[in-house]
Order: sequence, then structure tokens, then C-alpha cells
Amino acid sequence: MRVRAVIIFLTTGFIILSSGLVNLQVIQHKKLKEFSDRNCIRLIPQQGCRGKILDRNNKIIVDNSISYDLLLIPQRGLSVEASLSKIAKILGTDYAKLKSTYKQGYIAPFVPITIAANITTHQAIALEELKSDIPDILVQPHPLRRYPYGTLASQVIGHLGEIDHWRLSKLADYGYQTKDVVGFGGIEEKYDYYLRYKEGALSVEVDHRGRFIRTIGFKPPQDGKDISLTLDLGMQKIAESAMAGRRGSVIIMDASDGGILVMASSPNYNPSVFIEKDRSRISSIFNNPNAPLLNRAISANYPPASVFKSIVSAAALETNKINLSTSYLCTGSTKIGNRSFACWDIHGKQDIFDAIAQSCDIFFYKTGLLLGPDIIHDYAVKFGLSRLTNIDLPYEVGGFVPSRTWRKIVKLRNWFDGDTANFSIGQGELMVTPLQITRVTGVFATNGLILYPHIIKAVNGKPVYVVPKKPSRISLKASTLNTIRQGLRKAVSDSKGTAGNLASAPVAVAGKTGTAQVPKGMSHGWFAGFFPFDKPKYIICVMLENGGSGHAAAMVTDEIISAIYKENIL
Amino acid sequence: MKNSRLIIIAVALLICAIGVMSIYSSTYQKEGRIWQDIYKRQIIWMALGVIFFFLLSNFNYRKLWDATYPLYVFAIFLLFLVFMLGLTRMGAQRWLKLFWFNFQPSEFAKLVMVIFLARYYSTKSSFDVGLSAARLNLMKGFVLPLLLTFIPVGLIIEQPDLGSGVMVLLVFMAVVFISGVKFRYIGSFLGIGIACMPILWHYLRGYQKERLMVFLNPNIDPLGAGYTVIQSKIAIGSGGIFGKGWLSGTQGQLRFLPEAHTDFIFATFAEEWGLLGCAVLLFLYYLIISEGIRIGMRTNDAFAKLLAFGISMMLGLQVLVNIAMNLGLAPVVGVPLLLMSYGGSSVFVTFIALGILANIDKQRSVF
Repeated sequence: MRVRAVIIFLTTGFIILSSGLVNLQVIQHKKLKEFSDRNCIRLIPQQGCRGKILDRNNKIIVDNSISYDLLLIPQRGLSVEASLSKIAKILGTDYAKLKSTYKQGYIAPFVPITIAANITTHQAIALEELKSDIPDILVQPHPLRRYPYGTLASQVIGHLGEIDHWRLSKLADYGYQTKDVVGFGGIEEKYDYYLRYKEGALSVEVDHRGRFIRTIGFKPPQDGKDISLTLDLGMQKIAESAMAGRRGSVIIMDASDGGILVMASSPNYNPSVFIEKDRSRISSIFNNPNAPLLNRAISANYPPASVFKSIVSAAALETNKINLSTSYLCTGSTKIGNRSFACWDIHGKQDIFDAIAQSCDIFFYKTGLLLGPDIIHDYAVKFGLSRLTNIDLPYEVGGFVPSRTWRKIVKLRNWFDGDTANFSIGQGELMVTPLQITRVTGVFATNGLILYPHIIKAVNGKPVYVVPKKPSRISLKASTLNTIRQGLRKAVSDSKGTAGNLASAPVAVAGKTGTAQVPKGMSHGWFAGFFPFDKPKYIICVMLENGGSGHAAAMVTDEIISAIYKENIL
Repeated sequence: MKNSRLIIIAVALLICAIGVMSIYSSTYQKEGRIWQDIYKRQIIWMALGVIFFFLLSNFNYRKLWDATYPLYVFAIFLLFLVFMLGLTRMGAQRWLKLFWFNFQPSEFAKLVMVIFLARYYSTKSSFDVGLSAARLNLMKGFVLPLLLTFIPVGLIIEQPDLGSGVMVLLVFMAVVFISGVKFRYIGSFLGIGIACMPILWHYLRGYQKERLMVFLNPNIDPLGAGYTVIQSKIAIGSGGIFGKGWLSGTQGQLRFLPEAHTDFIFATFAEEWGLLGCAVLLFLYYLIISEGIRIGMRTNDAFAKLLAFGISMMLGLQVLVNIAMNLGLAPVVGVPLLLMSYGGSSVFVTFIALGILANIDKQRSVF
């Protein structure tokens, strides 16, 4: 009887073992197999190169330099001293120094130690050849963003940094991970998805102590795509040197398609500071009261002042409130309501041409009052103000055009004639960005087209816009456009014109100055124009923050255009 | 009967061959000749074991009856000797160095205790021909043999070698059970034993407590005591139905699995040969153990009966406990897997035990 119990006991034992085996090897197999793989397979990420940023002629604006790091794996028990002395010979460094670096870096036998960072290509090749003697060395390429022109177009380019929480939460679905390096601002941010490389990986088998056994597979990294911009490197350089020491921005736009040739914002910064991770220099950029990170061409709102007068002119001519023979007498000031509104000068008798050329405030006060704020508002919007130009750069702001309704609802105040007068000369609550003004000027340069400003030309050599975005046409009479063009030209060519200093420019320029009074500090200076006058090819907008006057802006414009023609870039 | 001897030696050699293959697989990637050569040492022990198998199978087991008490004393003497002169390895003093090899007296003591208990319980009463065990009183039938068992058990546990000690106790229980000692004695012993658990707990060493705790939940210490169990389960499970192939098991080869050539050789084997290989191996073990039980049932000699059952149980329990431990179904106690784990003493003693089994069947036909 008891023997039988023993047999049953043993048999039951074997059945339990068998079912245990089935449980592990069949039911839990998948999970445990995964654990087993995870135990012994390590993925070593392989970095690729971020895409280059090129100008319109494929000249490099930003690229990558390959730096090589030399690593040594201490594990295999080969003589470290012998290896180090051989390495020291190739690098031409002191053996003792390498030894101390090695000792300081030592963590565990299987963790590679960086013996030397940023070694030259020659040294890297020589060390690679040494690999047959010392299998423990590892030469790792390490691409780094390189900014050959330093601060050039820094706000347009943007800089690189480790992804932050906010960006990660938005981009996690696109395969972004913590610790990824992404663009901040400018092209680097907007086109990060194209520029970023796809990480490759080396899968290796390791033993229980993480020691390398063999390579199982390799997936090479994919370099990011190169992006060609519409920027012209030479012109950009000229504009930036003209702006050196000032605050403000310069935009030059191609009148044929809206491509941005120059977008300079001053002051600027050196994006390589963020690569070097120099904390004190990074914080000095962030704490700079002049906000060098701000792209003033698209991300800052300013009152347009007199450059707005061309829109008022267009509205008045279009609605027949004035005609070519309408003229007003400028005596230096006029009374609107019970307040006196001054002109910046005494101009005498002014028709539309003179008023644009000499920027007579009295003429526009009176014209504006004839128009009324609603029409001015409508035309301002028609010219693209108060909405984004949708340029392919991040952080664009849209400006603001006030209206009577807005005043009533938001400000709970009535609109007075004095407000209309201020509105007519581009002061008051009206706000624009330099890019919007560039586009407005483009309407007169192109005979009525609202251009699509853009800065990307091609990705990896392929044009981004397969079907070019068609500019939209503003319905304006040819005579209206022509009149204003004449006025803009007269501002330069007439001896009394506000941009008279540009008369001596190597090309016929037309344009409008603007001097915006600001509550604090010196006035902002504007110049928005186009050239050559007969067949406009380029639209230029110079904006000087607290630069004093429109005249100063016209001076900068002269400097830029002269330099461009002198260097024969066009 | 020649037949059973043939079955036993054939199956034992098959298991040994599987064992040598697995030892080779688990060690051939290690640095150093000593590691890479240990499968050769195992073969030497195996050969020695086979020689002793044939010697013992031709050596009348009845002579063991006479030699029981000297053997018992000798085993205890050897265990004491371990304390005096033993080699200390991995924190345990278990080995005696004899000439060129190391010997583990606890393995020898296991077998001796089976012989000792078989003789003790097969003493015939003068009144009738049956076994007297069932009529023995508490003192003679249980307490005395228990105390006599506790002498070697205590010495073994003190080495410390909890696995072998517990093994001897289990074999004692098995022999007592088969010999027909009254249930109430066994029952009350178990009851007292369980009641004493909290006190015994205090006498366990830190790592032994840890192992028991880890058995209950391996995840409480995944890098320490639980590591082995987790890695063993991963090794066995990742093998799947067909296994990863000989010399291709990553767990064993890359040393994620500790003790891959000794206590956890089953996991090494299971990883490389899968469920199919394991089924074959389990079948072989079942074959050899059931052969032992059948020999016990065939013989008429009471001593031989108990001896055969005792040996079969000793072998069977070792197999069950070791594999259960590999599967995470039993706490990690150091019990080698019969004929497969690397370790000369175990292989050698197992072959001797199998030789005794074969001889019992041979002598049957003589009577």
C-alpha cells in the first residue's frame, strides 16, 4: 500500500515538473524569450549628420564638422599601459596625461573611457589602423553643428538644444524622444523633421557583465536632409554688417516670387554657444535686454508710421475721395475737433505725389478724415495687415489694425476724429511687422500682387513648392497703383523727398520712409521700397528700432544697396 | 536478472552523456583551461563510476548488512574530518582533498544513511517473519533512528549544506514511511517539525533565509538571491519547444545564469534543447527511478526491499527537488541534478547506488 503511495508521489512529482516546463517553455515562452534577448542584446546608437542649411546658390550657411572621439575599453585584460603609450605616440600627447585621463574616466571594465575628444581626422585614421594591434580602442565619429559665419542669420537659422518638455509632448508621436537634439527657433525648428538624422544602431551581443561578444547587426544612421533657402549669403552678409550695432531688421524680398533674399535681425547671437553648452554665455544671451533671440523681422510689432500712408493713399484714390488734382495746404498744423495736429514740417501746397514724397501729415489727416476709419481699416486688411504672412518660419506675429467696433467692444471707448487722424499717418494702435510692410510695398512693386513670402527653396535639392504658390491680386486700379509708385519714386528722386539720400544710389529706388514716435526713447525709423524702379526686382524694408528717423533707415538702405551693387551680387 | 542492470547502466550513461554535453556547453566559452576542461574531469568521474557500478553490481549487497554500522561510523568520521581539514569554497566547507581529487563526504553520507536505515528497519522480530517496524514503539521505531539520522544531518547542515541535509531528512522520511512505521509517529513528527519552524528559522544562515524568501517572491531581490531563479526561468522559458540548439543558449553561454554547470545545469540543457529535450530527459529519469522501485517490489528480502526503495527515493527526490528548483517551483537549495551536474562525488556515489540496485536484482534470482 505504502509503496503504491510512493509511486503515486513520484509520478505526481514528474507530472508537476512537466507542467512546469510546459508553462515556462510554451505558455510563457514569448515573454521569457524577450527577456533573454534583452539580457544579451545591447543597442549602441549611431549618430548621423543633421542636414545642412544652404543659401539659394547652395553655398553653405550651416553644416557639420565631424569630430572624432577616442575611446578605450579596459575589459579585455590587455596591457592598458602598452595601448596608452602607442596611442600617446600617435596623438603626440603626453603618456602620463593619457594615463590620468584613463584613471579618472574608469568606471567599470566594460564601460568605454573617452581618452581623447575632438581628435583630427588624420589621427582618427591612424588609430583605426592601430585597431589590429589594440582591439580595445574605439574611434567614434561625432558630428557637430558648425556655423562658419558665426552670427549670420542666426534668428532665421535658429539654434540646437536638447528637447524640452513642451516640445516633446507635441512631437512624441513623430518619433522624438527625450534627450533628442532639436531646433529652437528659425529653420532648425520649423524644418526639424527634415533636418534631423535618423538614428542608426549597432546591435551587439554582450555577456552577463556587459562585455562585448560579437556584432549581431548594424543599421546605418540616415543623415538629415539638406535645406536650401532663398537667402543670398552675400546680400545677407552686407545687410548684417550694415545693421551692426543697431537694433532692427532688414528684409529683401524677391519681387518675382516672394522669396526672402535677406532677413537680418539685429542684434543677433552665435548659435554655436548652444552647441558648446557654455552656460554663462547662454544665460547672457537670454538675459540680454536687446533680445538677440528675437527675429525682429517677423516676431515684433511696430507702429508703421508714414509707411502706412501708401495704403491710405491707395484707399483714397480707389474710393475717389481724392484725385490727382486734389491738394491741401500744409501750414505745419491743423485743428481736428478742438485739438491741434501738427505736421513734422511746413510743406505748403501738397498734391498726392508730393504728400507721399514728402510724407506730409496734414495731407493725410485730411484724406483720412474724408475716408473714415472703416475704409482705412478695410484697406489695411486688404493689404495683408493684421494677419500672418504665413512665411515658413516659426513664431511669426500678425500685427494689429484697430477698428471702431474693436474700440467699442474691447476698449469701451468711442472712436474720435483725432483717432482717425492718427490712424491715417500710421500711428496709434496700429501695429505691423516689417515682413508685412515688405509685402505691402510688394503690392506697389508688382502692380497689385500680394506675394507669399517664403524662405525655403528646396529640400535635398528638390523644390518644396511643386506648384508655386500663386500670389493673390488686390483689385486696385492701374492708375491708383501708378500714382502711388510715382509718389514713392518721387520720395527718392525729388530733392525735397524724404529718402532723397537714395537718389545717388546705383539704381533707381522708390520707397517710403517712416518715423514712428514711441512713448519711450527715440523714434523708430522705417524705409520700405523697391528697386530698380522701372522693373522692380527687389523689395527692401529696413526697420530701425529707436533708430531716430526714417532718414536714418534710408541711409542704411543706401549703404546696403550700394554695397550690393558694388560687389556685383545681383 | 541481467536485464535490469542493462537498462540501468544504459539509461545512466545516456543521462551522463547529456550532462557532459551540457557541461561542455556551459563552460567552453569561459577563459582558462581549467574551465574548459572540466567536462573531461566529469568523464573521468563517470568512468570511475561505471567501474564501481559493475564492481558493486557483482558485490553481494548482503555484505552491506554486516558493514552497516562501520559504514555509518565512517561516514560520521568523514563529516567530522570535513570540519577539521575540509576545503572551503564559496563560503562552505564541504570538500575533502584526497590525493588529486576533492570529495564531498555529504554525498557519501546520503547513501550510507539509506543503507543504515534500511538495515535498522528490516530487523526481523523473533516472533514472525514480517517486518517489525510497524509494531515498534515510538522510542525504537521513530525517535532513536531520528536521532541517529540527525547526527550526520546536523553535521552536513553546519558545513553549511542545507540542500544535502534536507535531502537526508527527506530520505529518512521516505524510508520510515515505506518501512511501515505507524502513521501517528510520522504525523506527530511532521506536526512538531512545522511547529518548530519559527525557531529553526533563527538557526538558518542569512543567505538561506534569503533564498527561502526569494522562493516565495523572486522579485524582491532581482539582483541578489532572486537573480538565479529569474535567470533560470528565463533560460528554460526562452528555449521554447525546440530549444536554441547546442552551444547556442545565450543565458548559459554568456553567463547570465549562475551555476550553469552545477545546480542549474537543467536550465542550461532546457535552454538549448527545449521542451522536447526536457521530455526525453525527464523520461530517462523516470525510467531509472521506476526501475529502482520495480526492483524493490520484485525482491523478497526485507533489507533489499527497503534498500531499493530508499535508493530510488533518494535519487527520485534529488531529481524532483533539483528540477523544481530550476523551474522556480522549489527554493534554491544546493541539490545537484543526478548524473548531470558537474561534481565527481555525486556522480560517483550515484553510480555506486545504482550498482547496489543492480546487485539486488541479480541476487534475487539466486534465492
